[in-house]
Amino acid sequence: MNDSGAEVDVEHVQKRFGKVSALRDVTLQVSSGEAVGITGRSGSGKSTLLALIGGLDRADQGKVLIDGQPIWRRRHPAHARREIVGFVFQRHLLLESLSALVNVEVPLLGSGMRHGDRRRRALSLLDEVGLAHRSAHLPSQLSGGERQRVAVARAIANEPRLLLADEPTGALDSATSERVLDLLFGLRDRLGMTMIVVSYDAALGPRTDRTITLIDGEVVQDTGPAHTVGSENVKPC
Amino acid sequence: MLSMIIANLRRRPTRTVFTAAGIAVGVATIVALLSFTQGLRNTAAGIAHLGGSELSVFQANVSDPTASVLPLSLVSQMQSKPYVASATPLLLMIESIKSEPGAVVFGADPRGFFTRRLVLISGKNEQQAGSGGRGILVGERLASHLHLAPGGALVVHGRAFRVEGVYHSGIFYEDSGAVLPLAVAQALTGRGGETTSVAIDLASNARASTAGKAIERDFPGTQVISTTEQALRAGANATLISKAILVIVVIALIIGAIGVTNTMALAIIERQSELGLLSTVGWSPVRVASLILGEGIAVSVLGAAAGLLLGVVGGDLLVRALGVSTYISPSFTAWGLGRGLLVGVAIGVLGGIYPAWRVTRMQPLKALSGT
Repeated sequence: MNDSGAEVDVEHVQKRFGKVSALRDVTLQVSSGEAVGITGRSGSGKSTLLALIGGLDRADQGKVLIDGQPIWRRRHPAHARREIVGFVFQRHLLLESLSALVNVEVPLLGSGMRHGDRRRRALSLLDEVGLAHRSAHLPSQLSGGERQRVAVARAIANEPRLLLADEPTGALDSATSERVLDLLFGLRDRLGMTMIVVSYDAALGPRTDRTITLIDGEVVQDTGPAHTVGSENVKPC
Repeated sequence: MLSMIIANLRRRPTRTVFTAAGIAVGVATIVALLSFTQGLRNTAAGIAHLGGSELSVFQANVSDPTASVLPLSLVSQMQSKPYVASATPLLLMIESIKSEPGAVVFGADPRGFFTRRLVLISGKNEQQAGSGGRGILVGERLASHLHLAPGGALVVHGRAFRVEGVYHSGIFYEDSGAVLPLAVAQALTGRGGETTSVAIDLASNARASTAGKAIERDFPGTQVISTTEQALRAGANATLISKAILVIVVIALIIGAIGVTNTMALAIIERQSELGLLSTVGWSPVRVASLILGEGIAVSVLGAAAGLLLGVVGGDLLVRALGVSTYISPSFTAWGLGRGLLVGVAIGVLGGIYPAWRVTRMQPLKALSGT
């Protein structure tokens, strides 16, 4: 494990949307540099958990700590997101009017980096995901896999210590999914960041250090090296 | 940030153009109205300096200087004052030319400085020679509008006069009007022994403000007009028009701001996911709000620039098309255009504030899901 990854502590977190309990007393830890997969059926609370970890939403009860600090108590959660967290979504969410290069540059705006340096950084990130030659193209001129690779380049623009991916291959065919997962896990290996991936994709399992399974907002299974080797922490369903 | 603002405006060209066009119409209205106000001021200033005089004396407390009535005997009394170098009576005849009701016909002493200072462009000034009676001098603007030339005829108060000459004075009122001998004008209007005003040239050592106060003191019931502000104050109608224009400017500002607010608010609803994404990648609410505000200001600046052009060209064309150039001569000043631009930018700022504020309240997760 690499020390440059962030540590994540989720302590007794509960989240409701109206009368629906999305998360019920969820507790888990993710070590620095660990790659964790979160699986579960639709509506099991996977994406809600990821949003709480990334500071996109607040828990009703319990705490989410990144490196021991609650993300919502920082100077501003947006700054914390810029400094610590990178997001990849199922929908690439690229800005349609901007080129691939500028899309990658967007998170760097306001970081204090000069224009020329931002451009160079964005171009090198596109190069890293194999799309330097497509830098001037608009998202509409890129394939689904290329768009997702641009989204990955954007997610790592600020050198995050925690990469959160919500169904990153959900909208891709199997061959393209493999390439995107290769890219994500290759980057994680090289950059040493902590990574949490929400996915239905069974192909994800062997790539992660641990897999957490959620059912109806509860952790029912947590396998991997954070627990006793060879054992599984299985809650009765 | 600027490149994003430009890209976002270009992404929806129809919306950008329509919003900018709405602002342009507002700014054009303001620029045109301000130019009319300035023209009104210039015109009003002209009444203070008829015949190139330093000040003009009118009856006090009249609704409009042209409604003033003074006894002709005042002229010689004023002439005797040490601070007066020369005084000449002027009888102003309003709506006396049917085809140009806005034109003023001046009844002037043929030997007074008012008549002597008219610069003839064509024809002769027979009034000065004392042979006037059937003849009239016509200002160049009026001559141009009515296609008059020496030898032609102009009907005043139902009586036809032969055009003796065409003159230029540089004063809007005079160049848009005509000049008859005072006695003829008095006979036409049935105002023998009366004049509307007395134009005064001061002695070389006299100051306009001091002399003005002295005249008002020495000749009770008179008011002296020597500045534009005094001329505007003296004319109740001019004041009324200025105030009305101010109200219209404020209304244009409010309507423009509501238009921009509406457009930007709709844009925010449409672009929730995009704005949520910016927040997700670490943009602070203030930065996202700045983007929205920046777009509002950019579209307003575009609209304001188009509005300035439209106001300048349109104002002039409108006056010509309506045939009211004898009443109003639009006058464009840098300050007037600057105010139009300022109003345009103010529309953008005011219209962008509420949508930008809404953006700061947006929850990134809800915005991302577009709910």
